[in-house]
Amino acid sequence: MAEGRVVVNYAQCMACGICVQACPFSSLEMSRAINNKYKKVFPELSSRSACSGCGICATACPLECLTASKE
Amino acid sequence: MGKVLWVDLSTGEIKDEIIADSVYEQVLAGVGLGAYLLYRDIPVGADPLGPDNILGFVSGLLTGTGSLMTGRWMIVCKSPLTGGWGDANCGGTLAPAIKQCGYDGIFFKGIANKPVYLYVDNKGAQLRDASHVWGKDAVDTEEILEKENWTKKKPSVAVIGQAAEKLSLISGICNDRGRIAARSGGGAVMGSKRLKAVVLAGIKPIKCNDPNAVKAISKEYADKVRKQDLPAIVKGSMLPLGGAVLAHQKNVAPLDGMMLSMLFKKWGTVMSNGMAVTMGDTPIKNWSGSVVDYNRSYYKNINSDLVIKREYRKYHCYSCVVGCGGVCDISDVGDGKFKHTHKPEYETCAAFGGLVMNRDLDAIFYINELLNRAGMDSISAGGAVAFAIECYENGILTDEDTGGLKLSWGNSASIIQLIEKMINREGIGDLLADGVKIGADRIGKLSERFAVHAGGQEPGMHDSRLDPIMGVHYSADPTPGRHTIGASQYYNTTRLWEKVSWAPVVTKYPKNEEYIASDTEALKSVASACYKQLVDGSGGCLFAMIMGVQHWNLFGWLNAATGWNKTPDEYMEIGRRMQTLRQMFNVKHGIEPLTFKMHTLMAGDPPLKEGPLKGRSVPIEAMMMQHWKHFGWDEKTGVPLPETLGKMGIDQTGKG
Repeated sequence: MAEGRVVVNYAQCMACGICVQACPFSSLEMSRAINNKYKKVFPELSSRSACSGCGICATACPLECLTASKE
Repeated sequence: MGKVLWVDLSTGEIKDEIIADSVYEQVLAGVGLGAYLLYRDIPVGADPLGPDNILGFVSGLLTGTGSLMTGRWMIVCKSPLTGGWGDANCGGTLAPAIKQCGYDGIFFKGIANKPVYLYVDNKGAQLRDASHVWGKDAVDTEEILEKENWTKKKPSVAVIGQAAEKLSLISGICNDRGRIAARSGGGAVMGSKRLKAVVLAGIKPIKCNDPNAVKAISKEYADKVRKQDLPAIVKGSMLPLGGAVLAHQKNVAPLDGMMLSMLFKKWGTVMSNGMAVTMGDTPIKNWSGSVVDYNRSYYKNINSDLVIKREYRKYHCYSCVVGCGGVCDISDVGDGKFKHTHKPEYETCAAFGGLVMNRDLDAIFYINELLNRAGMDSISAGGAVAFAIECYENGILTDEDTGGLKLSWGNSASIIQLIEKMINREGIGDLLADGVKIGADRIGKLSERFAVHAGGQEPGMHDSRLDPIMGVHYSADPTPGRHTIGASQYYNTTRLWEKVSWAPVVTKYPKNEEYIASDTEALKSVASACYKQLVDGSGGCLFAMIMGVQHWNLFGWLNAATGWNKTPDEYMEIGRRMQTLRQMFNVKHGIEPLTFKMHTLMAGDPPLKEGPLKGRSVPIEAMMMQHWKHFGWDEKTGVPLPETLGKMGIDQTGKG
């Protein structure tokens, strides 16, 4: 069961995927479809998330648009 | 200090090699580190498909540091297609995965006695049996190996398809369900080693000297890209008109490359589908035609908007804020056996559009997935098909030779069948599966006049009669036939002169100047080649590069990520060294650089009789010589001069 929580600022996120690759548990995936003209998908916790709230994804994000916390 | 992993497939030995900081300061990482090690370690006379060849998977110096558009990985090897230096570039997620395993590169030598794959995670590396996936295509194999090896971290997988297993010299190495490091025949090298895949599941942190400084540059760049937004009123059908206007321009003026990001965001590279035809950039009818032949009744069917109509989501490579890729629904295409495919690139659309006079876009989608799964280079495959059609049309190949295939221009059903034969090396396909140069050798009957290549490699889908500097790189680069090194169009938007003291400043100039072998044009091509080595040593993206140095701050990121304090001029000398190392690899392996000169048709000999390039010819040999002279290489032979090698600290005997 995931213990962590990740909040993405989708107004700033540019779907670069750095956070997804950084996560040691592959808890994030590029699947969040937000209504946008380019049909981009954005990161969100996956259905098989094992997020611990470690914050590695947030540290990796160059645009600083993720926050991670423990539930 | 970093390290690389060495795997001897003959003995099973796996070991690390520590790489000194001084090496990175000399050649960066990526293709530079690859050139350093392969120049040192591949013996003279090594068979490209034999145990002495080395296949390397390298990641960029900036990959994983928080920089943007720096997630490209490369393969490096001795190319079985050209006999000289081989490399190929690809996106997806493999580049950071290499570094998350703790390495800047993974190098293979020897030949395994049965199919194997390499698995690497934080605990180490292992060779594992790949018999159960040998014979399967790249996408299916990736899915199987990903599932088998996904414990904590989803692994990144590089894999070969059937084309490489059958040692097609135009095969590549795939990842992320159909991205492909396609060029140089690297797939055949991997196939010859019986190495089916590389599976990477490491979770090690990636080092960066000053992450905050890197992020600051990234934010600035991302903000610029974010603001670029194409008005909805601009349609794909308008782009060919723009191309026609550009085709008739008498003068050239540099544009701000950042505007390209809005086109990439909307369409990706297929923005060029119609525009490049009307401006004369797309080679038509195996380089013997023009937009007069492949007219609107053809190119309107491969319109950029029609391509993205099938796109249901965008695809970004690692660290990309643009997102030129896409994933398309093709479940209703052909026999329906493929559900989706990566959006075909412009290169694929042109190679299976104008080059073969095809107007069937669905066929292009189908071919795209067919080739991605088989792991065959779509540029070279398109060139081989165009060559075969022209041979057939001229009676050199007959129905008996083709097994009954009617290889007329634009016959998409026959083209698909021919590609399937090439992948499976059946009949006529076997003759063509190693590219047009070898194909012409096998067919004979003066067919070499239709075999368009440079140094054995089919050129990219950009006409050197429109952009002569493109022709210089096709001919004078250590990996000939490549469209990704440089061009006047790239130079004009990259704007190197804003950072590099010796790069010629471009303002408005007459287009005709591009067709003269001058010092200015040579300095442009040299600057482009040096800078592209830096991009490839950093893991950078070509499309970010052409947005311009004033936006995509490669020099700034390099200093921030490494702690160096080098000037752009100093970095350009690193680029010059990297390029010289690649050239010395060729010299060591007996390549005479002038033999890489592109096919006469590509230089306008004879010139086209109609279309926007009517009458255009390129003094290619003189331009190659000027290019070499300004590199500090012998201008007649292309061999780097002893004083140049001395200045760069490169051993002439190939010891690194």
